[in-house]
Amino acid sequence: MLSSIRTAGARRVCVGVPRVSSVFSRAFTINDRLLNEKEVETNEAKSEVVSKRKPLSRIAIGGSSGSSQRNPGGSIEFTTWKAAALLVLVGGSLFYFFDKEKRRLQIEKEAEANRGYGKPLVGGPFKLIDQDGNEFTEKNLLGKFSILYFGFTHCPDICPDELDKLGVWLDKLEKRGIRPQSIFITCDPARDQPQVIKEYLSEFHPSLIGLTGDYDEIKNACKQYRVYFSTPPTLQPGQDYLVDHSIFFYLMDPEGKFIDALGRQYDENTGADKIEEHVKAYVPSDKREKREEKWYSFLFK
Amino acid sequence: MGWFSSSPKPMDDPSKPPMRSSRKQCWESRDAFFTCLDRIEVVNALDPSQTGAIKSQCSKEESRFEQDCATSWIKYFKEKRVVDYKREKFMKEMEEKNAQKIELPGLVRR
Repeated sequence: MLSSIRTAGARRVCVGVPRVSSVFSRAFTINDRLLNEKEVETNEAKSEVVSKRKPLSRIAIGGSSGSSQRNPGGSIEFTTWKAAALLVLVGGSLFYFFDKEKRRLQIEKEAEANRGYGKPLVGGPFKLIDQDGNEFTEKNLLGKFSILYFGFTHCPDICPDELDKLGVWLDKLEKRGIRPQSIFITCDPARDQPQVIKEYLSEFHPSLIGLTGDYDEIKNACKQYRVYFSTPPTLQPGQDYLVDHSIFFYLMDPEGKFIDALGRQYDENTGADKIEEHVKAYVPSDKREKREEKWYSFLFK
Repeated sequence: MGWFSSSPKPMDDPSKPPMRSSRKQCWESRDAFFTCLDRIEVVNALDPSQTGAIKSQCSKEESRFEQDCATSWIKYFKEKRVVDYKREKFMKEMEEKNAQKIELPGLVRR
């Protein structure tokens, strides 16, 4: 599909080439005609010169009418230059456009592949409460892009680093006009009560939403998102423990569907760029379906 | 294990999350302790055969580390030190053998 676009682009560039050469040939014909006219005029002029005025005149033979005819002759080179510039401009912008479009389609296809066919692979219904005690379900993901992160507040080093990185992403994205909803979901419901999460998140990006729930609800949410975690179901008093868990940022589209998982290989810049690419390449599912029926649907496959 | 007998640390309080300042303090004490371990060339602080050397050379750093960090973190950081050391050694060996490093997207690197 992409190659077909490429060739289409190339073809359009090629169409431009005969046009350019026709400009050349026209210019040359003008030139020939001018030369012929000049020759005739010269012959006529010679006889006049012999009979009367100004043998050493610097005025072109043929008088004032000759100088007005010279302009189109002089523009031969100008036309060449213009044609070349036009070719570079058109070719360059076509290349830029198709290159960009290729990247966009690539990202869109990636999201499509991640979305899965039939039953979604990642994501699904859950019922949790946020740091203020309000209910938060999968329906709260609708209408905006969301970034989900699973962790726990007593995490020694990775989670706080990752949340700081998320904060940098959110600031960068906001400058580009992208404001995803970002959600921290605890894998440690026994310790991470709403007020604990609230206090913890107060030191990170202000837009972060923190979710918790009872053990079974958290377990269900983690299962929906294919998050592995190892929290003991019951907590002994005074016990301190760690929770092993998957570390990915899940990017969800405004329909609550999974787009991509961003692992630790994304740094403060590449992660923000990746999210931006996904947000820009996003096409709502009804439009995607409609597009499938169109004659040019092969372009998107 | 000495720290169980001492008064409960604020870092171990399950009703309070570790905050940025306490995390920073813990990491600094950890780094100081690990610098001391580097000096006496101990990689695995959990190895019982090294306990004597640590006690005699790095006892001050160790007790600060254990006071400033949550109980679960202490073991985690000690284990992580061993893993990090092994990884670094492996990478160095591979580099000497002119191995090509392949970046795998989605692979977790720490």
